[in-house]
Amino acid sequence: MTAFTDAFQELRAGWRPRATLSVAAFALAALAPLVVGDARLADLAGGLYLACAAVGLAFVVGIAGLPSLAQGAFVAVGAVVAAHLLAAGTPTAVAAILGGVGGGAAGALVGYAFARLPPAGFAAATWIVSWLVAFALLSITWFLGGSQGLVVSGGPTTAQHYELALALTGLAALGYTALVRAPFGLRLAAARDREAAARALRVPVLHVRVLAVAASGAVAGIAGALGVQLAGVADPTQYGPFLSFRLIVVVLIGGALAPLGAPAGVIVLGILSIAADLIGRLENVAASRGHTLLTAILLLGIVSLGWEGIVRAPRRARRGSSGSGPAGSAPAALEARGLGKSYGSIVAAEDVALGIEPGRITALVGPNGSGKTTVLRMIAGAVAPDAGSIDAPRGAVVRTLQATAVFSTLTPLEHVLVASAGRRSRAGFVRSLFATPEARAEDAAFVAYARTLLDRFGIPHDVPAGELPVSDQRALMLAAAKATGASVLLVDEPTAGASAAEASRIVHLLGSLRDEGLALLVVEHNLGVVRRLADRVLVLDAGRVIADGPPDAVAADERVRAAYLGARRL
Amino acid sequence: MAIALQILATGFAAGAVYGLVGVGHSLLFRLTGVVHFAFGELIALAVFVTLLVAVGMGPVSQTSVGGVRFLIALAAGLVVTAAASAGAYFLAIEPYRARGSVIGWVAASLAVAYAIRTLLVVFFDRPAYVFPDPLPFRHVGHDGFWRIGGATIQARSLFVAAAALGLAALGAALLQRTRFGRALEAIAQDFDAAVLVGLPVARLVGLAFALAGVWAGLAAILAAPSTAFDVDAAARYGLYGLVAAAVVWFDARQALVAGIAIGLVQAAVTSAHVGRLELGAAYRDVVPLALGLLLFAWRAQAMREVVE
Repeated sequence: MTAFTDAFQELRAGWRPRATLSVAAFALAALAPLVVGDARLADLAGGLYLACAAVGLAFVVGIAGLPSLAQGAFVAVGAVVAAHLLAAGTPTAVAAILGGVGGGAAGALVGYAFARLPPAGFAAATWIVSWLVAFALLSITWFLGGSQGLVVSGGPTTAQHYELALALTGLAALGYTALVRAPFGLRLAAARDREAAARALRVPVLHVRVLAVAASGAVAGIAGALGVQLAGVADPTQYGPFLSFRLIVVVLIGGALAPLGAPAGVIVLGILSIAADLIGRLENVAASRGHTLLTAILLLGIVSLGWEGIVRAPRRARRGSSGSGPAGSAPAALEARGLGKSYGSIVAAEDVALGIEPGRITALVGPNGSGKTTVLRMIAGAVAPDAGSIDAPRGAVVRTLQATAVFSTLTPLEHVLVASAGRRSRAGFVRSLFATPEARAEDAAFVAYARTLLDRFGIPHDVPAGELPVSDQRALMLAAAKATGASVLLVDEPTAGASAAEASRIVHLLGSLRDEGLALLVVEHNLGVVRRLADRVLVLDAGRVIADGPPDAVAADERVRAAYLGARRL
Repeated sequence: MAIALQILATGFAAGAVYGLVGVGHSLLFRLTGVVHFAFGELIALAVFVTLLVAVGMGPVSQTSVGGVRFLIALAAGLVVTAAASAGAYFLAIEPYRARGSVIGWVAASLAVAYAIRTLLVVFFDRPAYVFPDPLPFRHVGHDGFWRIGGATIQARSLFVAAAALGLAALGAALLQRTRFGRALEAIAQDFDAAVLVGLPVARLVGLAFALAGVWAGLAAILAAPSTAFDVDAAARYGLYGLVAAAVVWFDARQALVAGIAIGLVQAAVTSAHVGRLELGAAYRDVVPLALGLLLFAWRAQAMREVVE
């Protein structure tokens, strides 16, 4: 019972005028069967099923940043599965669920096969998928009855379909809302903004992307399964690439970053189709063609204006929270021996040995091209070494990228939540989707932890990171690395291009992390910073360690001077 | 043996056109990082504008066109396509590419595709069109066909294959030997650096889009009289060209080979059988696309992750 009152309190606290507006719109829409005739109602229900599939697509396009052109194909898979099941006498609900499973499986397959590609490649691959499904529907008769289609009879009345479609669209939008705020959505957005930085913070990029495409495919599958029963016939010509294109249009017109953008886009498309009817009657052109042309022209207009859609992204403020965050990390050390790496004939690292100990800062210095970054990448596991071994506890090591590699649209608070997501146990896809009491309690605790951490680092919480001063961006990436819970931090050029004051701030922060017992390896060009900070210094030259010891001893080393200043004295 | 010869003869011609379109896709992707989703529809535009100028919208037989009028029609078709292709680049693709909005240029190029397609279907609303053949292939062999070792070979298809390969060679020479080609190579290697050294990048890339449209359009026009033609047939050129380019990750030379392979697979699916197993024409689109996707997925697994 307390769980319900808690949930209610939270809902009230987070309520916005926008939410009132959405609820009112849905309530009003639910009354449509009282005033609208049956034929029009069927059109509306069909439009709502389209909207439902489009909400799923909006999540993939907007949040995951994947330009998917296969959503129409996933609708088709749901429709095919349901058409066969319904023809065999399966109840509507079962057919809808299995249609969703079919769409989800197709989405997972496509996601797994192609989510590794850069966005342009993903668009090309999903476009080919759309065509493949369309050709299969048309030409393979056992698949969907060939060009005649499959007749599906019975099922709910038109009014029931309408209410069902409305409810499903509402649920899809609620699911969108829940997932955007959850670690799942934040991780997707981080990978969208800057994939390499997200991977460095241990975001399982491929995994979350596959899950996103699968979830959106499942929504499309359910919409397709119910839509086929509404239409009464599974008509293969309805599911071609043109459907994928229409869904993209709906998403872009309505806005991909808001859960109710897609339904708004469907309304615009509906108005367009009425306009096409009128123009068609005047000019004697078939309405469907006029409609396509108008749609294409409208889309061109919209994208060329750089418009972000009818419904904009809502502000994602988070209330103050409490609870105990993650426990501190156990101290750990890292030991690397005999590391070697070459790129073709260029030897980037040869027989490099180094140890990183808890409560100490090891600095890795050397002239440009001496192999520092290669060593760092090998230790972080981003690049596989050709030779040598690295001993460290599993999951203990995390790397920060060059200072300002932030996720520009996420807030600092969200950066920390992305980084700490790997330490959560109740923030999986399903728990987040249903916002279970455990998930919400854990969320509150992690938000509280993130706010404390950001205060300690002196970073504002709720502005997009892209708008932060560079000095704050540097500190933010350190905070995020700390939030992963790693006990060994690899820091790549934290003061590159920084002013003296900014460098002091970073030195102070790194020092405080060391005092907490973290083991740090810092690649650094600024030798002043190195002498103030490091307990031990390794000097690399041409891929080899030429000196290793306390800063003062290393600074006096002849070979180090030669490497930096040239062999002959000036 | 006869069946292999048959497959080679029918598949090679179509495949060479796919390959040429694939080369176009690869070139444009290398230049701009953009996949040109309206390529197939631009090819349709070339074929149908040529048809319109050559014989109007009425019914045609394969012989009802004079040489001079056909040349004028060909020029008109190619000029319109070049203009539309460059226009699509400047209006629909470049603004979003410059902003880094992938979904923007994807949607915009699809919008161009569907706008062209709808316009064409409004004017050419019959299911299929016979394209006039200006060259007298019907006088060669038996009404344009040769019988060799049990296989029936259309004389035209050899001409189409040779023409497509010739166009590919001409294109390669153009890219390697001319200042224009070297400038494109510079843009492909580093877009921003090419802007910085003062190359008129927008104009050069626009020209490349126009030429890619002309090359593919010309190949499609030469191939069009071989069978009945419609907008979907042209869209398939665009699609198979994209598959050919994608499976080799937009390597122009390999895309030509991949395109030919697709043509051969298609011909094999249509006419070959293994024992009693025979797929037939219903699978002529499904099988090559499914194979292409499998190869593309395999290729995608090998892609290296971005290391920063």
